[in-house]
Amino acid sequence: MSAPAPTPSAALTLSDVAAELLDRHPDAVIVSTCGFTTRELFNAADRPENFYLVGSMGIAAPVALGIALARPARTVIALDGDGSLLMNLGVLPLVAGAGVPLLHVVVDNGMHESTGGQATVGRADFTALALAAGYAHAVRVEDAAGLRAADLTPRPALLHALTGPRTGGPGRRVTHTPQQIVERLSAALDPVAA
Amino acid sequence: MHSTATGATARALLDSLVDHGFTLATGVPCSLLTGAFRLLEDPGDDARLARLRYVPAPREDSAIGIASGAVVAGERAVVLMQNSGLGYSLNVITSFNLIYDVPVLLIVSWRGHDGNDAVEHDVIGAELLRLLELFRLPYTVLDHADPAASVATVIDLMDKEQRCGVLVVREGI
Repeated sequence: MSAPAPTPSAALTLSDVAAELLDRHPDAVIVSTCGFTTRELFNAADRPENFYLVGSMGIAAPVALGIALARPARTVIALDGDGSLLMNLGVLPLVAGAGVPLLHVVVDNGMHESTGGQATVGRADFTALALAAGYAHAVRVEDAAGLRAADLTPRPALLHALTGPRTGGPGRRVTHTPQQIVERLSAALDPVAA
Repeated sequence: MHSTATGATARALLDSLVDHGFTLATGVPCSLLTGAFRLLEDPGDDARLARLRYVPAPREDSAIGIASGAVVAGERAVVLMQNSGLGYSLNVITSFNLIYDVPVLLIVSWRGHDGNDAVEHDVIGAELLRLLELFRLPYTVLDHADPAASVATVIDLMDKEQRCGVLVVREGI
């Protein structure tokens, strides 16, 4: 179960992935896992439809699934990291079994970067795992061309994006309070009641 | 400790949840909650119960995640679990529900409450209520004679405090 490491020169960043997701799914709700993933999404493209988790590692996909179950007309994306998906791999059969379209994105830098770059249990072939769990589609991308060409239709589908090690800092922390994060998303989901 | 209930208590409890606007149920089974899970999995021709969609979860913390997403999107959601699952759930409760102010209703069976259960339930069973009190999770113990009143009580507590409310189930339903 191993995935090749990307060549550093062509390595994707989480910002590249976020930009591509928003280009393809501009109205999507994006639930981001804690740590640098949430911080990078916030710094790349802050918007009310971003639901930033600041803790609860491993729970981004279940939260995204709950939103998708409640709002079947919305595109919902779970933005996971390799460490957080490895922590809660049981979400794969959960998402597959729930029968709702969801786009599950795993940004994989091969380490626990938010806590200092420690090793994970190992690089995993998340596309094989997702397909074995019952996802309808899974694709791994290693560079910008691959990302552009990837089918990102939620079915449920998994996008495994290999990214390089961080070159800059993680960017500032999310400045919204947890309550504001909830209020912004609720208003975006239900503009009439806002 | 296994359920000897006919399912009437479970049906009254779930009916009451539907009456309070609950649309999503998720969780991990417990033998004390067998009747409730049976009805969630197969509501039969009960159109009212069928309005409560059931999503099985692999772990209790993931179940709380699903319910939380639904609550953020404007629904009311309930998680059913054994008290052993509260341990797995503490991180999501403390680092999500209690800081984002997103309350979900928890129906938690109380294995080991009388100290006469299987050994793996002894420690959590003895401390369950103190654990709920430690994290200030409002709770009530299910009154089998009036499940609807117990449901109303715990929902009232949850709405008032905006914290996860816990309905503790001591005997099989």
